Amino acid sequence: MSERTKIDARGAYCPGPLMELIAGLKLINVGDEIEVLSSDKGSANDIPEWVKKVHHEMVGITQQDGYWSIVVRKAK
Amino acid sequence: MASNPLFILLCSDQHERLQMAAMIASVAAVSDRPVQVFVSMNALVLFGKDTPADKRYQGGAFSKLLKEKHAPDALKLFDQGKELGDLKMWACSMALDIQGWEIGHLVEGLFDGALGLTKFLSDAENGQFITL
Repeated sequence: MSERTKIDARGAYCPGPLMELIAGLKLINVGDEIEVLSSDKGSANDIPEWVKKVHHEMVGITQQDGYWSIVVRKAK
Repeated sequence: MASNPLFILLCSDQHERLQMAAMIASVAAVSDRPVQVFVSMNALVLFGKDTPADKRYQGGAFSKLLKEKHAPDALKLFDQGKELGDLKMWACSMALDIQGWEIGHLVEGLFDGALGLTKFLSDAENGQFITL
């Protein structure tokens, strides 16, 4: 069963949330997920783009009150 | 498969340009793109290990905003790019000589060594080249 780690990057500006996600991905197993909380609008667009480029999987992105929840599955 | 390599020539000591170089280098490196950064001229002084933080990040109106909003630290971004991707940083050997510095005068762990411009240009022939 996959596990999900949460990274609270609210308040960090681009590319901070992306860097925190990538550092987190290094620490988890293939198939596990990371949920990044980000208040940076640019990162809400950039993280899905990065996930697509490096062939991980976007699980979902939802806008909350003043921030985004971005869930990524480690695919390799 | 790795993307087209990216070569960044950083000469300016302006905070905004340093920040942009760090952002480009780190994001490209973690996006499976090999990156090399060549630091020369005024930019070299920014990387002095004894350079105080308030002297390192000087620039215009946007520099003030970057500091007020606590944007990611430029040197930390370079470091993250090296740790998480394929990013190499070179100190211009000419600039080191002119400054009277050795590689040991620069912040620890960031530079892969000193390099001549000829070698950097030669390596950059098959990649994308950006000057900041």
